[in-house]
Formats: sequence, C-alpha cells, structure tokens
Amino acid sequence: MIDKIYYFIMVPMVYLAFAVFFLGILVRLIRLMVAPKQTTTLQIFPEKKPAWLYSLADAFFLPTIGKHKPLLWVFLMLYHVAFLLLIIGHLELIWDIKLLQVIPHKIFLGKGLIALTLTICLVFFLFRRFKSPYREISVTEDFFLLILLIFTVLFGGHMNWAYHWSEYGFDLSVTEFREYLSSMVKFKPALPSAITGSPHYIILVLHVLFANLFLIFFPFSKIMHSFFTIPLNKIRRG
Amino acid sequence: MDQAKRKELLNLMDSKLNNAMRMYLEVCSHCGVCIEACHVYASMPELKYTAVHRAEVIRKLFNRYFKLQGKIWPSLRDSTVLDDEAVNRIYEAAYSCTGCRRCMVYCPFGIDTQMIMSIAKLMLIGADREPKILTMLADMSIQKGKADEATRQNFATAVRNLEAEIIEKWRTAGGDEVVPLDIQDANVLYVALAGKHSIIPAAAIMNAAKEKWSLSYYEAVNFGAFVGNPKKTQEISQRIIDEAIRLRVKEVSVCECGTAFRVLRHQMGKQPFKVTSFVETIARYIREGRIKLDKNKIKGKFTYHDPCQLARNGGVIEEARYIISHLTDDFVELTPNRKYNWCCGGGGGLIAIGEHDFRMKSAKVKAEQVKATNANILATACENCHTQLSELNEHYNLGMNVQFLSSLVADALTE
Repeated sequence: MIDKIYYFIMVPMVYLAFAVFFLGILVRLIRLMVAPKQTTTLQIFPEKKPAWLYSLADAFFLPTIGKHKPLLWVFLMLYHVAFLLLIIGHLELIWDIKLLQVIPHKIFLGKGLIALTLTICLVFFLFRRFKSPYREISVTEDFFLLILLIFTVLFGGHMNWAYHWSEYGFDLSVTEFREYLSSMVKFKPALPSAITGSPHYIILVLHVLFANLFLIFFPFSKIMHSFFTIPLNKIRRG
Repeated sequence: MDQAKRKELLNLMDSKLNNAMRMYLEVCSHCGVCIEACHVYASMPELKYTAVHRAEVIRKLFNRYFKLQGKIWPSLRDSTVLDDEAVNRIYEAAYSCTGCRRCMVYCPFGIDTQMIMSIAKLMLIGADREPKILTMLADMSIQKGKADEATRQNFATAVRNLEAEIIEKWRTAGGDEVVPLDIQDANVLYVALAGKHSIIPAAAIMNAAKEKWSLSYYEAVNFGAFVGNPKKTQEISQRIIDEAIRLRVKEVSVCECGTAFRVLRHQMGKQPFKVTSFVETIARYIREGRIKLDKNKIKGKFTYHDPCQLARNGGVIEEARYIISHLTDDFVELTPNRKYNWCCGGGGGLIAIGEHDFRMKSAKVKAEQVKATNANILATACENCHTQLSELNEHYNLGMNVQFLSSLVADALTE
C-alpha cells in the first residue's frame, strides 16, 4: 500500500501538479487579459525614461525595499537568486546544459549552499511574521506557503547536504535522479530500483510531495507576483 | 444587510475590477514595507491606519466573493462576509486615507491604495453611507454646470467687483478687461476655485504676463473625485472640458487645487487642449521673461510643501522650486520632500467633511516635519493643503505664514 502511495506522489501527482501549475497560471493570465483595461495613468512622479527598463530594475532589484528595509532586502535578494539557481540546478538534473557549464560546476549546483541559503531566508521570513506589526498583517496563506517551501527545501537540501557534507555520502546519485526525471519529461515514467530500494527513498518522496503541493498552490496564491511584478511596476513607472 | 443590497454592493465592486485593480488585489505579499509610509500611522501608530490594512478590508471581500479560494477555503486569506460591520470597516478605511499614494512609493509591487479605496468609496455610496456633504457639493458643482444666463451674469458681476484688488497687485491689464470672461481663442482658460484668493493673484500674474486669457465660469474642485463617484467626477470635469472646447483655448490652466489638476490632466483622457497646473503656467512666464519677481518684496525663510496630487501624483515638482528660486534666496527643503513628502493630512475629502480632530492628530508627523525646517513662510500650491497646513499651524503653534505660491508671486511682481 505504501509503495502505491509513494508511486502516486512520485509519478501521477507530479504530472497533476505541473498540469495545475501551467493551466492555473494560464487561466489567471487570460482572466487578467480579458478584464477591462485601466485606461488612464496611475504613475508616480518624477518619471524616469525608459519606464520599461526602470520597471525591470524595480522588479529584479527591489529598490523600494532596499531603501526602507535593508535587512529584508538582503534576505529577499539572496532568496530570489538562490531560487533561480535552484531551478537551474533542477533543470541540470534532467539534461546537460552546456551553456551553463561556462562556469564549470558539479551537478547539483552549489554543493548544498543553495538549499542552505534558502532555508536561512525562509526561516527569517517565517520568524519575521511572528513579530508585530507583521504578525497582525499576516494571513494563513503567508504561513502555509512558507511552511510548504521550508519542508520542500529541507527534504531536498537533506539529500544534497548528505551527499556533499557527510563522510557517508548519499546513496542516490545524479545518475539515478536523471534517469527518473528524464523518464518523466519523456512521459515514459520509470522509477529506478536504486531509488525505490534506497533506505532514503522516503526523503525524496517527501521532497517531491511538498514540491507538488507548492506547484498546485502556486497559481492560486500571492506567488503569482512572479508574473505581476513587472506589469505592476510598469504601471507605477508610467 | 439583505441579499439584494449585498449583491448591489458587490456589483459596484465588480465594476471597478479592471486589470490593474485585479493585480493590486491579488499580489500583496504582506511584507509590511508600506506600514511606515502612511502619515496617519506615523502620527497614530495603529494597524488600522496602515495601507496594507486598508487594502485588506477590500481584499478580504474580494477573496470571499470573487475568488474560488474564498469559497472553498475562506480562512486561508481571512476572507470576510459583506455585512453591516464590514461596511463600517470600509468607511473607516476609506475616510482615514487621504489618497496621497505615498505607500505606493514604498510598495515593491507599486500597489495603489487610493485605487483600492476607490472601491471602498463606491461601495459606501451604494450603501448610502458616504459623507453626504461630499455628494451634496458634487451635485452643486454639476448643477452649476447647467448655469443659465442669469447665473453667468451674476458671476460676471461678482468678478468685476474684484477688479480693484487685482489692479492693486498689478496695475495694468493684459487685455481689455482685468478679468476676461468668454474670450474666444484665448491662449489660457484659467479654472479657479470659488473664492477670490484663487482669482486675484492669478489674474494679476496673467495680466502682468500680458496673456490672452479667460476665466472659467466653473470652479475647478472635483467633489465627485473626493466622494469616489466616477460619474460625478466625469460630469464635473466635463463642464470645464466643454467650455474649453467652446472657446477653442489652447491651454486649460488649473488653479492651485491638486485633485482638480490630477483629474483633468491624468484621468480624463486626451483633450484638444493642453492641461497645466497654474504652477507650471507661472514657471513658464518666468522662464520666458514675461513676468519678473522682486526677491526683496517678501522677507523670511521659505519652505515648500509638495501637494501629493500635484507632485507625486501629478508630476509638477521642480516648477515650484524654480518659482521659489525667483522669490527668495533663503529656501529650505522639507525633509523628506518631492515624492517622499509627507501628506498634509487634508486630502481625500477630509477637509470638506470636517474631521478636524482626526486631521490634526493624524498629521502630527507633518507638523513636526514643518517645524524642523525653522522656516517662517510655508508655501504650497493646493487649496486642501493650504487649509490643512493653516489649521496645523494654529493647532501646533508652528509660527508659520502659510501662503499659496500664486499669492507670493503676485505680491513679488515687478516691472
């Protein structure tokens, strides 16, 4: 029975999660596109041109936070850069991406530092919410998302940390992960016996479970800011 | 609240849900960076006076009624039911916000709380809970737009009675009349407020500049915008637009009223004439050498309050400083200034409603900011700001001489 649950999490649920993720985002964006347009300017002055370039800078470098909450800015920048590297790291688990090897590195990228950075940042974000006045303005969703991410990163990071930082290493290597992930991408799912037979299989299952939940929740959450930040800053820039 | 009323209010909310508004309502990550941006919170640190709290009052209703999530898991975002208690919260949010948009400068996403509060204000109108004085004043403005010949004659007579005071400031008129009315093909249609303080200095300045100008029959102030009624906002603006088109003027210069200027310049779409603030008009006259100012006429240390709707939200920022540089060499900036300037605390209709106690308490930070300059002349370019700053001056014993920029310019006119 437990094998079936594990299989469900590792294969059908992953497809389900990605389907909800992509379709959900698409529906959200279409709904926004068919909504009536804002016809007059909502910009803030003084204006700087080109507005689109400054909007990109606003979205990627968060200058308003840097100016008013520098400590939060440090953690937010670290978090977002680490998250980007995390996505690249996972893509490299599926395919060799030669372009990225301009800076030669081992797979998985970062030798465990990415997960560590993310964990520290997420714990900072979580504990910040325990403090007034941030506690009072937080809603369940804020905690729910942070907890989902912390669990995802901790279980994922555990495998990487054990591999890089433990003298015992980790019994699952890039080869097994790539076999599993590339089979998923080709829609010919196969779970290598090296993975299912590993005593650490549960760690991977839990990592994938929380990642699935995060992907499913993503289109319905405030994390949609990843799509809305640039257009919103463009509105502000005029 | 019965079901029919709830539906009516939700339909009003729905009517405001354009693409920008939807993003404003969906994207907030509750980072709290906006908390310290609000002058009300800075003066009275209660959570209900933060931008995020005000927006959440509307956002929680939006989540409950317009999002699937609010129906299946309402507690996830604290979605709330629209009932009489919610309407009370909406009132408190909408009319404790001056719509200054300082929080928008702080927000990493640029969420516009004033826009979100426009939902609140529209719902309050639907619930018959808006401040009635604002609706009454808006209706009066619209009524004046339908003025008959007798009303226009009365206005012309009243304006002629100001001539002596105008000539006292600037002895020669630019055209045939001291205050020209109904001038076809005028370069400038000046839109004043209902008060001679808004007409006399402007007339003196334009006559000194030998401008071909015309005074609008209508007052600039837009109470429709203050009460958050888009239809009345449009109707009030339309009176001026129709007059400008009828006279075929090149430019409509809006008096020192921040909201009137922003509505006409930025919210009424493209017009066959240019819309300027009178501050820009004065700066142009100085730049073109059409008026000259004597720096020795007004003694004292100047400071300048950027009206939110004129500066941060309207784009008229450096022109005021350019004018002041021709009035005095003794000028000190408020800190912070320009787009970060603290709101005076009188916007959003609060002056018209009254709310003296709240306005004084909520603008403590403004009073402290002004006091820290050690200036004695506080110039500004907005009627609401002028009224509020004058009351703050008295309430906090600031010892300031609060003046309109146009009034200072008119007093400093020289050959």
